[in-house]
Amino acid sequence: MNNTSNTAPIVAENLSRHFGDVKAVDGINLTVNQGEIFGFLGPNGAGKSTVVRILTTLLGPTGGTARVAGFDVVKQADQVRRNIGVALQEAAIDPLMSGYELLELQAVLYGIAANKMKQRANELLERVGLTAAADRRVSTYSGGMRRRLDLALSLIHQPAVLFLDEPTTGLDPMSRLTLWEEVRRLNREGTTVMLTTQYLEEADQLADRIAIIDHGHIVREGKPSDLKRSVGDPTLLINVSREQNDQAKVVLAAFGDMRPTAEGTLGVGLKGGAERVAEVVRALDEAKILVEHLELNQPSLDDVFADATGYRLEGADSAPQVD
Amino acid sequence: MTTTRSVGILATRSVRTIRRLPSAFFPALAMPIFNMVVFAGTFFAVTKIPNFPTDRSINWYMPLGIMMGAAFGGVGLGFTTIRDIETGFYDRLRMSPTSRLSLIIGPLTGTLIRILMMTTLVIVIGIALGARFTGGVLGVLCLYASALGIATMGAGWGLGLAFKFKDMRGAAIMQLSIFLVMFLSSAQVPLDVMTGWLHTVARVNPATNILRLARVGLVNESNADYLSWNAVWGGLVAVVVMSALSLGFALRNLQKLSD
Amino acid sequence: MPLVTASKGPIVRRRSTDTARQFVALSRRSTLAIFRQPALVAPSLIFPLFFAALGASSFSRAISLPGFPKVDSYLQFTLAGTVTQGVLFGSVTGAAALATDIEEGFFDRLLAAPTSRTSILFGRLAGSSVFGGLQALVFLLALLPFGVTVQAGVLGYVSIVLAGFLTAFGVGALMSVIALKTGSAEAVQGTFPILFILLFLSSAFFPRETMSGAYRRVADFNPISYMVEGQRSLSIDGISLTAMTQTLVIPIGIAVLTTLLALRQLSVRLAAR
Repeated sequence: MNNTSNTAPIVAENLSRHFGDVKAVDGINLTVNQGEIFGFLGPNGAGKSTVVRILTTLLGPTGGTARVAGFDVVKQADQVRRNIGVALQEAAIDPLMSGYELLELQAVLYGIAANKMKQRANELLERVGLTAAADRRVSTYSGGMRRRLDLALSLIHQPAVLFLDEPTTGLDPMSRLTLWEEVRRLNREGTTVMLTTQYLEEADQLADRIAIIDHGHIVREGKPSDLKRSVGDPTLLINVSREQNDQAKVVLAAFGDMRPTAEGTLGVGLKGGAERVAEVVRALDEAKILVEHLELNQPSLDDVFADATGYRLEGADSAPQVD
Repeated sequence: MTTTRSVGILATRSVRTIRRLPSAFFPALAMPIFNMVVFAGTFFAVTKIPNFPTDRSINWYMPLGIMMGAAFGGVGLGFTTIRDIETGFYDRLRMSPTSRLSLIIGPLTGTLIRILMMTTLVIVIGIALGARFTGGVLGVLCLYASALGIATMGAGWGLGLAFKFKDMRGAAIMQLSIFLVMFLSSAQVPLDVMTGWLHTVARVNPATNILRLARVGLVNESNADYLSWNAVWGGLVAVVVMSALSLGFALRNLQKLSD
Repeated sequence: MPLVTASKGPIVRRRSTDTARQFVALSRRSTLAIFRQPALVAPSLIFPLFFAALGASSFSRAISLPGFPKVDSYLQFTLAGTVTQGVLFGSVTGAAALATDIEEGFFDRLLAAPTSRTSILFGRLAGSSVFGGLQALVFLLALLPFGVTVQAGVLGYVSIVLAGFLTAFGVGALMSVIALKTGSAEAVQGTFPILFILLFLSSAFFPRETMSGAYRRVADFNPISYMVEGQRSLSIDGISLTAMTQTLVIPIGIAVLTTLLALRQLSVRLAAR
């Protein structure tokens, strides 16, 4: 981690945003380093989008400070805007306009010279694979096409810092892969990316570092691999009949800490790892508990999340899986 | 017996929304009052045209406000039915073993109760603003009869279109058709005052007859359209025939709904 | 550590012409939007003409009543009312579109870009203002074959078209206050009856001289009366300073006032972030 550098592309210090009594963001500290993909993870309502809206100048903080691309988000909002690209949730684009027209508008908004506009727009359309659809109205685009156009729009001025707010929510697996590839490519070219997501897998795949936000606080921060290691032991998941549930819990507790799991399943952080599974099975057998299902999971980001917050990330299971 | 009870419960549902959702009923009351006031105020001088049937503009435009309110209130039933169809509630009604006729008569009864309330309110305000019945109780009854008649017509038409289109396209047609039928008539001025194309159209528009019926108790006693069998029968026939036709249209399209 | 890599960097620079370019680009967008949704704007062209035709047949005998100016036909009298009616009803579209931008997040996209804040508002209103001028022109041309002319000549035609533009802008700005306050297109559409009331409580359809009592006093207070009467005088009597003033200065005054209100609401909205 690079906490010493104040020139990091994104630095938030003690950042807060309260709405009346609701503390949507409650004093968070955050540093995103040059050239990183930073994953910002949390359930709906955790404060993820609020942080992004503050960092992209759409919302003022009620406490603390933030600097993006070297500029203060409140005092130097205009400079911040000139240096960041933002692809917002839901890809808000005017359905009455064509992709090319929207790029043209965006170019004007960012003060790109008229003689460079056309070239730049065509480059970006090419880049996101929308050249053929350039002159069609956006209302005819698919969800994936809209997100790709949204990404192209956010790149019009070659921003040093790119914000992607839930870029793949609601996309089919194919479109999701395409978008991931594009984000990786941009990052290789030197763009710092801050990405918010509800999908653990997305953060795992893309992010160099992640932060988990819950109830307005950052509860974990670090490299995905380090975080997973920190959770330590693998999770043993066991299903038994409802009547034997409490009895099984007592047996399992001897092998490690119980972990939050889906309703009806018992989870224990198995101390000593896989080689102790046999012991567990023997112990359950001795207690005359009938095991319906047994599964050993190596720590995942979901475990990191559960360990940090005490619950599983909603929708994590239903997120489209990509392999 | 179940038919009567179904009609009762469906009518109650329609009336109950007045209390549950007063904001939705408000425009249905405000629009007729507004129309009456602005027409009577804007075209105040129109009664000075020679041979105009009344010398009070509010006498002429109060029935118009009521009739427009009743017509739009009637097709409004089609509008709420479209919503019921879209939310799936209507399928539940159709699945019930009640007679198809009660699915129409029930909500219609509820609508007519609302129209009665609206008509009464507009008459009270109209009188406060200077409207005077020249034809006594019989004249008032004619106004109520024509309001309920045109509401029935509107309701049948609205329901039929709702069943036919099942979405908001139906609502657009309802609004536009009622608007045209109401205005291409003696709505603004009597037949012998208008000239040109409108006269040709209004003369054959059944709404003209029904408006005449609505106004029989409000025009001058010397006028040919004053309360008399001659002035009344055309409107009554129009109400009965048009109501029967539109309810038939509704019933036919309700039955087609399960095709 | 360098802020950006050497190979790339923001290709954005500040120029004084930026705001103008942004305004033009956003105006272009809002104008195209009008023409790309013909079904949305058609009613505000058709209904006024329908009412004009209806009035022509209904009130042909009313024009000889005391209080009416000397006109050849009711159509001639109602030209100004038709123009104003159409423009008022059409002017809601721009503000409703602004509210839709807020609802659907396009407004945020504009805010996240270094867009000049006033361009966002005025660029959005430009489309419906242009449409307002166009509506006036359409009405003037549509009634021409029926012998309805503007006695004030070319200057009169131009002034009425300009008045259409200004009125659409002024009323659009007023409706934008609601759009910015609520961020709901439905709320903007919901204010439509207020325009309807304002129009009817004016001399748009009958002369004020024929009205009486409280109704007359309301019409006397209603600025729309004077706006319509200015255009009417240009059409019936020909050119005069009073008519020109009423036709142009009233909508300008309204536009200035409502623009101030809209800008204030815009800054309230931006400050509330």
